[in-house]
Amino acid sequence: MIPNTIERFVDRRGRTIGLGLMWVVIALLWIPIGIVTLMSFAADRALAFPPDELTLHWYREFLQNDAAIDAVFTSLQVSVIATLITVVLATILSYAIAKYEFPGKGMIQLVVTLPIIVPLVVVGVAMVLFFGVINVGTGFWSVVIAHVVRTIPFAALIIIPTMLRFDETLEEAAKDLGADELDVFVNVRLPNILPGIVAGGLLAFTISFNEFVYTYFVRDTRTETLPIYLWNQIRFEASPEVNVISVVFLLVAIGMILLALAITNVQRITMR
Amino acid sequence: MLLLFFILPLLYMVWLSFHDGMPPASLTLENYLNVVTTDLYLRVVWRTTVLTVQTTALVVVLGYTLAYSMARFSKRTTLLLLLVILPFWTNYIVRMYALINIFSRDGLLDWMQLVTGLAQEPSGIMYTHTAVLLGLTYVWLPLATLPFYASLTNMDDNLIEAAKDLGAGPIETFFTVTLPMTKNGVIGGIILVAIPTFGAFVTPTLLGGTDQLMIGMVIENQFTEAFNWPFGSALSVIVSAFVVLMLLIAVKFGAGDVVTRRSDTQ
Repeated sequence: MIPNTIERFVDRRGRTIGLGLMWVVIALLWIPIGIVTLMSFAADRALAFPPDELTLHWYREFLQNDAAIDAVFTSLQVSVIATLITVVLATILSYAIAKYEFPGKGMIQLVVTLPIIVPLVVVGVAMVLFFGVINVGTGFWSVVIAHVVRTIPFAALIIIPTMLRFDETLEEAAKDLGADELDVFVNVRLPNILPGIVAGGLLAFTISFNEFVYTYFVRDTRTETLPIYLWNQIRFEASPEVNVISVVFLLVAIGMILLALAITNVQRITMR
Repeated sequence: MLLLFFILPLLYMVWLSFHDGMPPASLTLENYLNVVTTDLYLRVVWRTTVLTVQTTALVVVLGYTLAYSMARFSKRTTLLLLLVILPFWTNYIVRMYALINIFSRDGLLDWMQLVTGLAQEPSGIMYTHTAVLLGLTYVWLPLATLPFYASLTNMDDNLIEAAKDLGAGPIETFFTVTLPMTKNGVIGGIILVAIPTFGAFVTPTLLGGTDQLMIGMVIENQFTEAFNWPFGSALSVIVSAFVVLMLLIAVKFGAGDVVTRRSDTQ
């Protein structure tokens, strides 16, 4: 039994304490992000807090650093290509799930979510082994394939529900009015499911742009994405430029998520 | 596509783990025996297990508190959900670097300790067990909060009122009504944290270094430096076995749904 005095105290103060703790935890989540942003303006080379002097020096350094800018472009290339492939495949998959019955349909949910659950290291090494066996080797395209594997589950889990909510009678109506299969897909179904597809694509892009572990294993030394560049910097150089790259990532992530939110809703992204 | 580039590689990895070299080599159990007979690897597995348990416990306590206050006491939940999930969607390595900023010598933590007089000498906590534990907790906290929050909002609030009307205090109500009713969400959250923590390699590499080896780091090392792929595969299979175990636990407790429907790690 819990003493009555404690129960009464919690009854009266529980709400205040709970809300207080909530804000403390949320603050703890954001403090590191705030610190990185602040430190990106620090003049000093060492990571001493508080910074003595604020400067834009490391931002200029970053913009003039060819290796870093190359990494940004490699990342953008990989992410754009991987996102396009992912969105097309995920749309086809969800179309098949919504329209047709086929063997193994019940397993799809599991197969789609497994890559999300299995630790990244495990899949990363399994892929590099497999690429060796089938002679794909490592390089730009192995990275793109890895990114597609990584992003398909996320895109599919957003696009499938959109597809299932689509009112099939609309399609019937269009067909009755003489439209053929392709016409119906492009003019009736696509406009209806487009928000889901765009949201799925944005999410896929964000994940791909941030993806590190798969890339780390399946890349060759010439394919350096921005997360790989960041990793190498942290491990071997630790220049304050790293803070600047971090801010770039923060802005991209926050921008993409807000964009996705504008199109779909919070529940879709956080609850599914 | 997933079948080809996800399932097949995993199956090949399992197959390779029973070989004593790259195929064609003879079949063997040596890689697994190597793990259970080498002191170093046993210690690594033990440390990984301890860190997984500690991280999961911390995340459950903090995440449940957070989710509880969001579900019960707050109105602007959309904004709060965003505040919780946005840090999660920022780059994993960036979040690690943010913690390096805080944990390293003369970093924020040292500064706070000096200002408050808790410590006289800056020392930093980089490359310690604590650093890895805090890092893993920081990374997975937002993820686990979501199933906690979902199960709390799905619960029937009248049950709480009923318990109170029957004379139960808030603490008793929590342990006899709320917690059992949200069991599935809790188990779902535990699994979402425990699995990736057990396979972690980025966090212990950056925050722990060679003093805090975890299984994921040894796997990475086998593939990038030691080039003992069959042995690395065997370690990966062990991690996968842990994943399967956790999923079975989830299904047994009826929380399998939470895992397949919730969908974002790292």
